[in-house]
Parts: sequence; structure tokens; C-alpha cells
Amino acid sequence: MNNVVLKNIRPFVDGKFESPMTMNLADGKWVRSSVADAKEIDAKGAFALPALFALGMDFKEPVRDDVYTFKDGFQAMRRGGFYGGLYESAANPIDGIQKLSAVEQIVEKSHLNIRLLGAISEGYEGKTLAEMMELSEGGVVGFGDGNKSFGSSRFLRLALEYGAMTHKRFFFLPMDYSLRHGGLVHEGPVSDTLGMKGVPKPAETIAVYSLLEMALWAGVPLHFKQITCFESLELINRAREKNLDVTCAVDIYHLLFDEKDLFNLDPNLNLHPPVRTAKDKEALWAGVKEGSIQAISCNHIPVLRQDKEVNFEDATPGAVSLEIMLPALWTELSDRVGQAKAVDLLSGAPARIAGAPVSKIAMGEPVDLVVFSPEEQSIISANTFVGQVQNSPLLGRTLQGRILGSYVSGLWTLG
Amino acid sequence: MSALATKHLLGLRGVSQSDIMTILDTARQFRDILDRPVKKVPSLRGLTVVNLFFENSTRTRTSFELAEKRLSADTINFATSGSSVQKGESLLDTLRNIEAMKIDVVVVRHKGTGVPKFLADNSNAIILNAGDGANEHPTQALLDMFTIEQKLGSLAGKRITIVGDIRHSRVARSNIWGMTTLGAHVTLCGPSTLLPRNREYFPNVTWESDVRCAVHDADAVIALRLQKERMEDSLLPSLREYRNFFGITHDVLEKAKKSVLIMHPGPINRGVELDSEIADGANSVILEQVTNGVAIRMSALYLLSGGRASE
Repeated sequence: MNNVVLKNIRPFVDGKFESPMTMNLADGKWVRSSVADAKEIDAKGAFALPALFALGMDFKEPVRDDVYTFKDGFQAMRRGGFYGGLYESAANPIDGIQKLSAVEQIVEKSHLNIRLLGAISEGYEGKTLAEMMELSEGGVVGFGDGNKSFGSSRFLRLALEYGAMTHKRFFFLPMDYSLRHGGLVHEGPVSDTLGMKGVPKPAETIAVYSLLEMALWAGVPLHFKQITCFESLELINRAREKNLDVTCAVDIYHLLFDEKDLFNLDPNLNLHPPVRTAKDKEALWAGVKEGSIQAISCNHIPVLRQDKEVNFEDATPGAVSLEIMLPALWTELSDRVGQAKAVDLLSGAPARIAGAPVSKIAMGEPVDLVVFSPEEQSIISANTFVGQVQNSPLLGRTLQGRILGSYVSGLWTLG
Repeated sequence: MSALATKHLLGLRGVSQSDIMTILDTARQFRDILDRPVKKVPSLRGLTVVNLFFENSTRTRTSFELAEKRLSADTINFATSGSSVQKGESLLDTLRNIEAMKIDVVVVRHKGTGVPKFLADNSNAIILNAGDGANEHPTQALLDMFTIEQKLGSLAGKRITIVGDIRHSRVARSNIWGMTTLGAHVTLCGPSTLLPRNREYFPNVTWESDVRCAVHDADAVIALRLQKERMEDSLLPSLREYRNFFGITHDVLEKAKKSVLIMHPGPINRGVELDSEIADGANSVILEQVTNGVAIRMSALYLLSGGRASE
């Protein structure tokens, strides 16, 4: 642990920013008295926000540690101001107690508040149930499908019915893969104009509908990791009227881009699921504002440079976001929903969905925070990102706002 | 004419308390006979019973056959393999042909729910259900009830816990109907994929997802056989997880009554639904269930054919 004195800082306390002050941070706590051997930082009026919580992180190790490692992921989290996150790897399904304990041992060493999703089926194959009871007792906070297909409807029924005994939440990326049929972009003007295979909206809405119906029937809480269109939101709101406990998130890039941005064929914007129309993007913003979308997810998926430095259609889908989530979103998000709600969408709400403690800044208490200047700018370059990846559609752009550093579990990390 | 209110024994759902008590009381007398040097009585002499087993069975068929022989009935075993059924004969035609041979009682087991009722609706013979689909297995439940009463006295007020694959179990269903009719408190426990979903149709039972809570204060615990096909059918992740969360082990029974009876309809998957040390332990009455099964079947056959038996 190290001690830090933040001068001229405006901490976010009890739902609002305080006037500029000095914060003494010692051994992971905000203390009143001055601290010895402290690093002094002049924040120049920057904000001290409660550290963020990430929904959707895949660090690839051990199966693809040639791409990214846990160490890379933990460093990216600290650099981006995250104190915790919900972890689920498509490459490394936690489908048994041994895998769970192996991952637990690794994340424990990070001193970050990382929660784990267990697999619904062995190897995410949608054929054999994973040992969900044992995984639940072992500490997973919910169950996910690794963004794979959930198998047959019957298998989904059995998975939810069996998993209901754990009283944990089920996390799905809603996608009917037979309708996706290899599509990479929204099925609409772009796919028609550029002659690319499209992903029709029903590929998402049919899956949303099936999952909602089955969750209602089985009585299990549900979370949609990422929705991309107005129609999905409508279905979810209707299910809530029937008292289903269902939460959903939208990922950062679906709030920043729409299908028109695809015309320049940036392989970094090859995302799964694809960004959709400007109207959908606005509907997602409206959902975030009115609260029908509970959180904004990171969907941090590292992809090697060589797998992105190809033509759009051959690029591996996915984008990283941990290091740049805050500057990428803060200005527009706080303008649209207000500062207090913006903080909750990036920190409190995702933590609640993952069953993790919520970060807050209070004198005399342990504190995890991120120092963020909305006045300064960030130039997004390869150096912004940890490890050997840089797969963000914001690469090369200048963003309003800059992370000066984070103080998480008593460790100061430069932004 | 039957000495019971019912002509057939198709199941225990809807059977009166008085009929169940009569079968259990009469079984007590036959149970005594089984301990004599000469175990045979002439009660059903001249009566012909066919054991019509469309499903493989060793212990139930043997138990029925022994009961019939102990009562001096003429017994015919009809197995479906190599029979006219395999050649495509309909169930109704099979029944008519058997009837034409002047059979008095048909003991039937079939994978289809309702086959005993179908036979009863279409035949003059007395029909005794030896297991139909996942619906009922009344003589197994009666022998379970008999064994509990033999050890603990009246079932009224007793706490009986049934653990395992309730959804697919004819034994569980017959036990639920029979035991609740006699005033027992029945608790059901198992993985949610193996429990009936519509609990409102089981009005007088308690549901419990934690096996330790389920066996707490129980007077008897009935562990059901876990069919390995349930794994292939994706209803369970593994035998290992089933055993860890629903198996009856020494640890699980720590919170149970010291006198708790351990029961199983057999055959046992040792180390899955029941650990060997429990199956073979001092509280186990599993082999006594088997012996009592013969007495219960003698009682049911005797009472259902009561008119002739009394001649």
C-alpha cells in the first residue's frame, strides 16, 4: 500500500461533488490527519469519483495468454479507475470447481474486487449442465453462457430450472445464432450498400423473448449483458411488468457509434453484437436515462493487432475499453443523465448487478477512487492500452476528460 | 367380489383410508405366515393370475409370483420379449386373448401411464398395477407403509421424507397419495429438474431443496433410485454433484433422528443416492421392505379376489 495526498481535489460524496479540498489517503482509507511518506498530487480541481465497476471482462488467460493475461487485465482496470468487475472468459469457461478455484487464486492476488460468473454448461457447449450447485457454493455470483448460443430451448429450460436452486442471476448475450448466420454488421443500409452479411434485429429480439419467457417460467433473475436495439428494451420492459427480476446493460461502444460509422470499415468497430441504427442508439441513451437500462458495460475483449489489421470482415470481433471508458463517456453521459446518475451507471449499478459491494467515498472509510479531470483531454494511442492490444474504435481520437490516476485497494496507479 | 371398496388396484390416489388400512392389516397376517416353516396357504386355489410385464422387472415380478404361489394360485408369466406384442399385436388384442384363456387376475407393468386403467376399462379380470409409467406403483408404496408401521406404529403424524427423482417416480407418487391419506407428513426433496413443477397438485406435502433440512426430524427417509439416463437427458450435471447435494450420507443424517428408518425401493445405486454404510447400517430396513413386499402383494391379491377367496 502507499499513501497519497490529493490536493485541490473535488471528491464525490453523498451524491455530489465537494468544493476543492485536500484528501489524505493512507493504507486504503480516507483519513482526516496528515499522512507521512505520502505522494503529493495537485489535482487542479479534478474530480475524485468512486472507482468504477466493470461488467464484461475477458482476459483470455490461460487458453489465449498469447493475446492477453490476467496481469494485463488487472493493470488495465487500475489504469482505467476500476476497483472491481464481473469476470467471464469465452476462452476459459469456469465450469467446474477446480477451474473456479484456479481463477479465484489468481484474482485474489490482484486485490481488486473481482466477481466470477460460472458456466451454465460444460465448455459453454449447451449440452451438459455444469455443476452449478457446487460452483454456487464455491462463490460464483451468477451463471453465464460465455456469449455462446444457449443450446436448444429444452436445454435452456433445464439450465434455468436446475440453476434456480442456486438463487443466482443468469447472464446472457441475447443472440439467435442461426439468424445471425455469420453476419457482422446490422442488417440495413450498410449491409445492403456494402454487400456485407447482416445481423437482423430479430436475431436479438427472438433470443430476448425466449430468455424472458423461460426466466419467467423458471422464476430466475436474468441479466442481458448487452442489448442493442429499441425492440429488445420494449420486450424487457414488458417482462418487468410481469414482475420478472431482469436487468440489462448497454456497452460503451453502442452508445458512441451507430451503423453509419461502419462505412469507413474500421476493423476495430467489428463488434459482436454489431452497432445498429442512430435511432436505436438514441433509444439506448433514453433507456439509460429513464433507468430501464441499469448499467453500462465494458465488454472488454482484447484482440491481437494482427487479428484487427485485416479487412473488416476478416477481423476478430471485439474491443477493449477498460482504460478509456471514463473519458469516452463522461461528458455526454453526465450531460444527458446528470453527474450522480452517471457515477451510479458506471460504478454502483454494475456492482449491484454483480452482487459486489458498492464503492463510495466517505471520510474515515476504506476508499477506492479514480481521479478524473473533465477539463483535460486524452489522446487515445497504442500506449493508452495495457499489453499488446489496442483494439478500440476510439484509437487515434482525442477525448474530452482525462484520468489522472486511481487509488484502489491502497495502491496509486497513474492513468 | 373384492373385499375392498375398489375392484382393481390401479393406484393409491383416491383409494380410501379404510381400504388401505384393510390391505395393511391383512398383510400383517400374511407376514406371519411367511415366517412359518410351511409358507403356503390355500386361499387362492383355483384362481389363475397372469403376470403381464411389458417392462423388465426382476424383484417386483418375482415378489408377485411368490405371493401368488404362497396363496396357491395358478400363475402364468407373460413377458413381452418374443411374444405377440413384439410382433405388433395391440394391447387390446393381447388382453382379449388372455381373457379368452379365462384368467381371473392380471398383474400388469407397463411403461405407459394409464395402461392398468385401460385394461380395467376393457376387461372383466381383476387388474393389479405393478407399475405404470411414472404414475403409480401402489404395492411398492403399500409395502413401504407397511414397513414403517411395523417399525414405528401408525403412520398418522409420522414425518416421511422422500429424496430424489420425484418427477419421474411412480413409487414416490403412490407413496405421496397413500401416506397422506393415512395422515403422515410427507416432505419431498430433490433437484428442481427432478421435482414436479406444479406443486398445487400435491396439497398436503412439504417441499425442501436442502437435503439436510429435509431429513431433519424425519421418522423415515426413502431414497429413490437415480436413473443414469437423467444425466444423458441433461437433467443433472453429474452423479457427483447429485451425491454431494442430495445423496443420503452419514453427514446428511447427522441432524436426523437417531431412530430414522432408511428405505429404498431398490435396486440401489450405492454411492449415489445412498452410501453403502447407510444402506447396510443399523437404521436400514431395505431388506425387510423386500420381505414385506410379498406379504403386501398376498394381501392385495387375496382381498381383491375376496369373493372367491372366502368360498
